[in-house]
Amino acid sequence: MLIDINAYTGHWPFMQLQYGTCATLLARMNKFGVHLSVISNLNGIFYKNTQSANRELYDELRSLGQHSSRFLPFAVINPTYAGWQHDLEECVKKFGMKGVRVYPKYHDYEINDPSLVELVKKARDMDLPVAFNYKMVDSRQRSWMDIDYVAYTPKPEWSLKNIFPIIKAVPDAKYMILNVTNSMQLEEADAALFRKANVLMDTSGRTINDLGNLLKTQGTGRFAFGTHAPILDYLTGMLRIEALRESEASTVTKELLRSGNAKKFLGL
Amino acid sequence: MLIDSNAYIGHWPFLKLEYNTPEALLGRMQEFGTDVSVISNLNGIFYKNTQHANEELRDAIRSKRAYRDRFIPFAVINPIYGGWRDDFETCATTMGMKGVRLYPQYHGYDIAALPCIELVKMCRDKGLPVAFCLRMVDSRTSSWMDLDKEWTLKNIVPIVKAVPDAKYMIVNVAGSMALSGEEMSLFRKADLLMDSSGRSMTNWSDLLKQFGTGKFCFGTHSPILDYFSGLLRIESLRKNEADEHTKELLRSGNIKGLLGS
Amino acid sequence: MNIDRRKFVTRGAAGMAGMLIGGSLTGKSAAGIPAAAATPASGPQPYDLMKEVMQYRKIDTHAHIYWTDDSPETQLDYGRRLGIDRQVISRYLDVMPGTPDQFRKFNDLTIKAIKKYPDHLIGGFVLNPVYKQESLDEIKRCTDAGMVGPGELYYQVKINDPRYYPVIEKLIDLKMIIHSHGECQLGVGGYRMKYNGHKQPNTSIPEDFVAIARRYPEGIFQYAHIGMGGDWEYECKLFRDCPNIYVDTSGSNNAENMIDFAVEHLGEDRLFFASDNSYYQGVGKILAANLTERQKQKIFFDNYNNLLKKGGRGVD
Repeated sequence: MLIDINAYTGHWPFMQLQYGTCATLLARMNKFGVHLSVISNLNGIFYKNTQSANRELYDELRSLGQHSSRFLPFAVINPTYAGWQHDLEECVKKFGMKGVRVYPKYHDYEINDPSLVELVKKARDMDLPVAFNYKMVDSRQRSWMDIDYVAYTPKPEWSLKNIFPIIKAVPDAKYMILNVTNSMQLEEADAALFRKANVLMDTSGRTINDLGNLLKTQGTGRFAFGTHAPILDYLTGMLRIEALRESEASTVTKELLRSGNAKKFLGL
Repeated sequence: MLIDSNAYIGHWPFLKLEYNTPEALLGRMQEFGTDVSVISNLNGIFYKNTQHANEELRDAIRSKRAYRDRFIPFAVINPIYGGWRDDFETCATTMGMKGVRLYPQYHGYDIAALPCIELVKMCRDKGLPVAFCLRMVDSRTSSWMDLDKEWTLKNIVPIVKAVPDAKYMIVNVAGSMALSGEEMSLFRKADLLMDSSGRSMTNWSDLLKQFGTGKFCFGTHSPILDYFSGLLRIESLRKNEADEHTKELLRSGNIKGLLGS
Repeated sequence: MNIDRRKFVTRGAAGMAGMLIGGSLTGKSAAGIPAAAATPASGPQPYDLMKEVMQYRKIDTHAHIYWTDDSPETQLDYGRRLGIDRQVISRYLDVMPGTPDQFRKFNDLTIKAIKKYPDHLIGGFVLNPVYKQESLDEIKRCTDAGMVGPGELYYQVKINDPRYYPVIEKLIDLKMIIHSHGECQLGVGGYRMKYNGHKQPNTSIPEDFVAIARRYPEGIFQYAHIGMGGDWEYECKLFRDCPNIYVDTSGSNNAENMIDFAVEHLGEDRLFFASDNSYYQGVGKILAANLTERQKQKIFFDNYNNLLKKGGRGVD
């Protein structure tokens, strides 16, 4: 069984997407043997009022009828925008959303912003995972209208160090860290805290090219299959798991990566 | 007859739009009595590769027979992006686009930059109007990721000066319309239309006198602005401000002339 | 208030035929989604990814070796893992100014590797055309040592700089594929330079490749890594009308639809499979594309090998 913990529907402003709907994503899932996808709406990254995007996702899933059971929707919340507390309640209670995605860089607030801390604590109390990602697209191909965190410049793309402060601030929340594409290095004390935290990382990012070794250093319970579809190709995240040798990951470990860790983390 | 010179389909990144599909726009047209709309694809403002937006627009119009009779498509071209000359040719010929919309601010070039002048001359040679928008949205309400500066009419002057014999449309005229005497003379001589969607279109008596009755046309800037205000500005004109003939020019006559019908 | 808005305006409907798009919309369809994609099947189908991976012969046309003790064995191990028969390796010249001593030393590393693993590694040399005679001499030395052509030429000099002409003319004489680094990132090498990309100023950009490819239509140019992170839509669109520019698919960026878009704009014969040492992304992006079996065979192996054969350097 395969569970993709990092997929999207919606529109990316700077590029036409080929599989930007739940229906087209479902076709990809069926073709490549994926049973369930954690999904959120890309539009929520850019809409000032992210709740419009959450409602769109809810409506889109409803329109799929029985196929909606193949998706696990996550809300996009901007904790610096008016009414987010109400939005979160509505997302969980009315729209059936199972987690929260936040975008500090796109929504223009710091990782230690008190409003984010408040949101993460609220999510923790509601037993909802909060998902961060390193980046949405490679900064080297970004549009001139996109955010300007650019690799190899004084304002670089994020690494784990940029996300860690929120984990330190609320160590008992559930975190997803997605599209891991840059360094995972932390100071020693921080690394120890990170190892204790309830964190799940997906396999879509290029840093996971070294998954065999990461399983040794981070443990087998902290990674899960993810595609970052439809922005990244559908197969590379899967290939990083399937190409592991027996000496790197047993059949049991591979099953954890394909779905076991995601099931446990998401309470499925 | 009523022709909307300034409408869109597509996605606006920062706000969910309600009437941004051909079907929804057609519904608005039927509700308000618009016969035909000039439309382009909002996605072309943000896609790096604008041709994908043009292909989307073409496919959208092809998807239903009724659309072909009600929509006049304009391409979005970015003259500093790879392959734009091929894209322009494809749009003007096989895709049947009837004009071009340019977004110097969003696409990051000066209005009188050489590639822009080259493109405007190419449009001129094919008899296609070139449309500029002074602002897509009010900068005060827009996103932190959107532009932070709006244009006034003066910002259009350099390109009209550089290619005075092209056809121009200037839409959503929301800032200052002040021009020097020389610039006003240039505008009056140019084959140029401004639509009625912008908030600066208020004092029509003066505007019609200053620019002439042949310089304005109906436009909604839909679905970003409400569908009605641009029309109201025309229909509420008193007889002493615009006679029936002038109103017809504003409703459709002027834009028909510019589009070469 | 419920007003009849239709009566608000005077209506008529004449004279529009010429302005409407009517039947003139006869253009080709946009790159798109297969029709079946909109109709979900009943459930996930069995899919054996590794079987799919292993069924294609592959030449990785852009890979590198390093100065570390585990190189090239680490690269070869990725090859075995993902069914890559051969890798075209080089030690790219990431130093300035890139003297003859430096490029000879870099090439020595490659020569050592290909001599040790002749069945799996294909050598590409590096040079710096600032040093004309030394570069020409190095071409001979490396060719005699069994290299098949230039590896990824780097940022010391733009590919269309006149100082490159004698080098390129020599490579054309030898029927070699002229492989060079290229970037298409805001602020790099002249591409929309108002932004600062913090890169070497002589980095080649797509326009530089177009210029040199037009100057030497008989040359075969390999534009490196459309997946490096640059603007691949821009690159492919710009190269559409340059039949002697090929692109390699390498790079750490595996954007969905990149390969489909490249095939649409360049045709299936002008893509070379490559990793630039991002091996998973290299293979994954090809298999995720909507390609036929034959197209995958061509991109993974035949397109590049057929060009190698022209110079008598084919691998089978």
